[in-house]
Amino acid sequence: MQLSDKVTGALLIALGGVTAYGASLQPGVPGQDVGPSVFPAVIGLGLMGCGAMIAFGVGHSFEAPDDTIPAEPGETVPRPPRFAEWRAFLAPLLLVLYVLVSETLGFLITAAICILVMTRALGGSWRLAVALALLGPVGLHLAFYELLRVPLPDGLLALPW
Amino acid sequence: MTPISRRGVLLGAAALPLAGTALARPALAQTRYPVRPLQLICPWGAGGGTDATARIVASLLERELGQPVNVVNRTGGSGVVGHAAINASNPDGYTIGIITVEITMMHWQGLTPLTYADYTPLGLVNRDAPGVQVSASAPYKDIKALAEAIKAAPPGKLKASGTGQGGIWHLALVGWLQAMGLKPDHVRWVPSNGAAPGMQDLVAGGIDIVPCSIPEARAMLDAGRARSLAIMAPQRDPLFPDIPTLKESLGVEYQTAVWRGIGGPPKLPAEIAAKLTAALEKVAKSEQYAEFMKSRGFGMDWADGAGFGKVMAETDKAMGEAMRAAGLAKS
Amino acid sequence: MSDLIDGFIMVGQMDVLVAILLSAIYGLVVGSLPGLSATMATALLVPVTFYLSPIAAVATIISASAMAIFSGDIPGCLLRIPGTPASAAYTDEAYAMTRKGQAEMALGIGLWFSAIGGIVGTLSLMVMAPALAEVALNFSSFEYFWLAVLGLMCATLVARSSPVKAIASMLLGLLFSCIGMENPAGAPRFTFGMTDLLGGIEPLPALVGVFALSEVMRALATAEPPPLPRRKFGSILAGQWSLTRRFQWPMWRGNVVGIIIGVLPGAGADMAAWVSYALSKRFSKTPEKFGTGHPEGLVEAGASNNASLASGWVPALLFGIPGDTITAIAIGVLYMKGLNPGPTLFTERASSMYALYIIFILANIIMIPLGILMIRLATRVLRAPRASIMPVILMLCAMGAFATGNNLFAILLVGFFGVLGYIMERNGYPVAALVLGIVMGSMVEQSFVTSLIKSDNSLLPFFERPISAVLATITLAALLWPVAAWLIRRRRRAPRRPAPQGG
Repeated sequence: MQLSDKVTGALLIALGGVTAYGASLQPGVPGQDVGPSVFPAVIGLGLMGCGAMIAFGVGHSFEAPDDTIPAEPGETVPRPPRFAEWRAFLAPLLLVLYVLVSETLGFLITAAICILVMTRALGGSWRLAVALALLGPVGLHLAFYELLRVPLPDGLLALPW
Repeated sequence: MTPISRRGVLLGAAALPLAGTALARPALAQTRYPVRPLQLICPWGAGGGTDATARIVASLLERELGQPVNVVNRTGGSGVVGHAAINASNPDGYTIGIITVEITMMHWQGLTPLTYADYTPLGLVNRDAPGVQVSASAPYKDIKALAEAIKAAPPGKLKASGTGQGGIWHLALVGWLQAMGLKPDHVRWVPSNGAAPGMQDLVAGGIDIVPCSIPEARAMLDAGRARSLAIMAPQRDPLFPDIPTLKESLGVEYQTAVWRGIGGPPKLPAEIAAKLTAALEKVAKSEQYAEFMKSRGFGMDWADGAGFGKVMAETDKAMGEAMRAAGLAKS
Repeated sequence: MSDLIDGFIMVGQMDVLVAILLSAIYGLVVGSLPGLSATMATALLVPVTFYLSPIAAVATIISASAMAIFSGDIPGCLLRIPGTPASAAYTDEAYAMTRKGQAEMALGIGLWFSAIGGIVGTLSLMVMAPALAEVALNFSSFEYFWLAVLGLMCATLVARSSPVKAIASMLLGLLFSCIGMENPAGAPRFTFGMTDLLGGIEPLPALVGVFALSEVMRALATAEPPPLPRRKFGSILAGQWSLTRRFQWPMWRGNVVGIIIGVLPGAGADMAAWVSYALSKRFSKTPEKFGTGHPEGLVEAGASNNASLASGWVPALLFGIPGDTITAIAIGVLYMKGLNPGPTLFTERASSMYALYIIFILANIIMIPLGILMIRLATRVLRAPRASIMPVILMLCAMGAFATGNNLFAILLVGFFGVLGYIMERNGYPVAALVLGIVMGSMVEQSFVTSLIKSDNSLLPFFERPISAVLATITLAALLWPVAAWLIRRRRRAPRRPAPQGG
């Protein structure tokens, strides 16, 4: 998701504009002269200002160069996996999946699915993935449900204790 | 505000499998209640006053019912999320919750469609009336002197604080001013994040009055930094017998309070409700409960389900009036 | 004197000692899990304190919170996932040391200087509590406004990035802090009709998202890096002693700043760490080394946040005013156990007070051996393959956020902030500044609006009150100095080199 400064700057300008507009819609409050609209409006204007400066490249010289160590001659640089940019979004998608199904399937099953998918996506062997998917949820359940008293949903499968 | 929030849909989806298991279970489960652990939902975060009350009630209720009662903090949305969760829970008696005075305020502000009528009241367990606190260095000797100073001051000159805009203590101030025949904004409200910062600002000289509950002001009162001139209650608080009521000292008939009570979702079967109310009454009248409430300085009070329902209805009406007067109500 | 001896006897009880040890281990473990904060560790202890004697109950809170604040540095240092907002300020620095193979050293700094900060903070609590409390009481919303602005300005100092992008990130954080109805007007803002947004964006899910989840996302997008060089690392403590001598001055400055900020209710350990790290960079002889794995900032910020933890108890014990979320919980426990906060606690119940001091110091001392054990164990994480660590961290992110309010919405927030943090990071926007904005946002607005109400819309008291005037001067100087320096440098440099192009 590397975007040019022009794009992110423009996005900030747009966001600032929407914020300032949204702030102007806030109704006043009796007894307060500085109402709920002032603070967001200032932020919106600030975002627009910063966005413009970023789009025009102000302050770019301060950015630290990427501190990746250059590969030594002969050393093979590990290649990023295929669809690298899109694979990253697997993690937040799994969280959304968790939110959607954990109440029905229960914590143990949902967590096992998430761990299995993640381990495979990171290049772990099937053996590791299955072992983690079996042991991980039980360990987490012990720590959170038993010790910290967090009410995790049972769903279809509950632990016997 | 859409009447069906996304969370409501989620909760509905979550309740489906539960409803399924309840149906599958034979009806005789009703006769032997409770047979598994209960959940007590607390709409406020761990460590606060409501959480502490919920936990002591839960631990004593556990002894009465013979089943574990687990406190579950369901926070978010300034209390709306937790209250909605109590309302949307399965009416099988295994999920109840601690309901706070905010339920009579939030719907007037248009924050939630839920009102006090969306619960089965089981019992009131605590009630605290606000006091009128001023700084120890303030010139007002008693509530009369303060009332006269308020009347003599131009509108907006004196400032009060102790909670957010439209919060319970703001409305207590509004109600008191109105009872004295003054405009609701005669004393200007300075919003704060709770009573403790308000009391600090009172002592720092930033504001003039903090109408928060006496337990919240207690540390500053004990430190001799602030004084409580009157309490907005029908009678004096046995824990603080030196503080006169508004009526006896000023002749103004005004009273309000925050309260906490236990409630369940609507359509809770009558026999389960009766059993819970009976257990709660034993809890509220137990020695341990009295000891705990005394140590925290919280006001003891007990009302059964019907009585709690009446308290909620009365508060709801009073809050609606105060909020409309202050221009805070949406509906 | 007999009070002091009584205090020792009270702490010497078996149940108190066991409570300290167990809660210390508990605090270390909970704090070290990414996504679980010191506040949560403390909150979850409250039901346990029901069954303890008064001194033991308070002892569990004190030792668990001190341990959790330290061990919050562990995931930050090893995986670039800060455990608490307090450690977010210097996470990048600690992680840079880890990448140089100095993980034990970085964690050792956290441990050693945390313990020193905690002990110095306690001593200040013993000697100056009433005096410090007076300072706290003189802080009104006018002073808090300047303090909040100063805190926000740390954003540009802390990040190794374009100052414009740092400010943009901070503004974005401020924008998130606007969401909900926890604003001075009590008006629901930018909630889009969602109940879950009424209460606003909690800092913890945002922190977990931008740091932990985005780290997991980066792991998915990049190939497995070559394993870190394994260096033999001797005694963790030996190195600390030479650092203590080398960075004596920053350490003391960190302690003092931490004590002062800690005493102010509402500021707390988060802000102490940020301000101290920024100060350290500002006054360092080698500011260019900051962010590349340089111990100086860690020394100062580590000392500062634990010092503030101890001094945060001053307003809590004297006036029942919580200094931060941890002391807010502690006040509840104090009341419940009959140790009512107030000046009488210092006079009539002096032996209990001494017992509290002794517990503070004891907790900070046993932190060192327990912490070393924890560091030795935790650094094994670095040698485990990514495929076995990251899935577990993903689940911990979800669980930790969920546990803050048992609300699934918090998990969605983690997801959102993870994506945001990932994109920001790739484009050179510092995510730490975003967190700072979220943490400090409501304080800026609240203090500004309430100040104006109190002064009937006059701006004068912002500059008139003595403490306020001092803070205003510092703020304006700090604000104008970099601009002036930049202009001078630009003018000097301009003829030689054309201004850099954007893009």
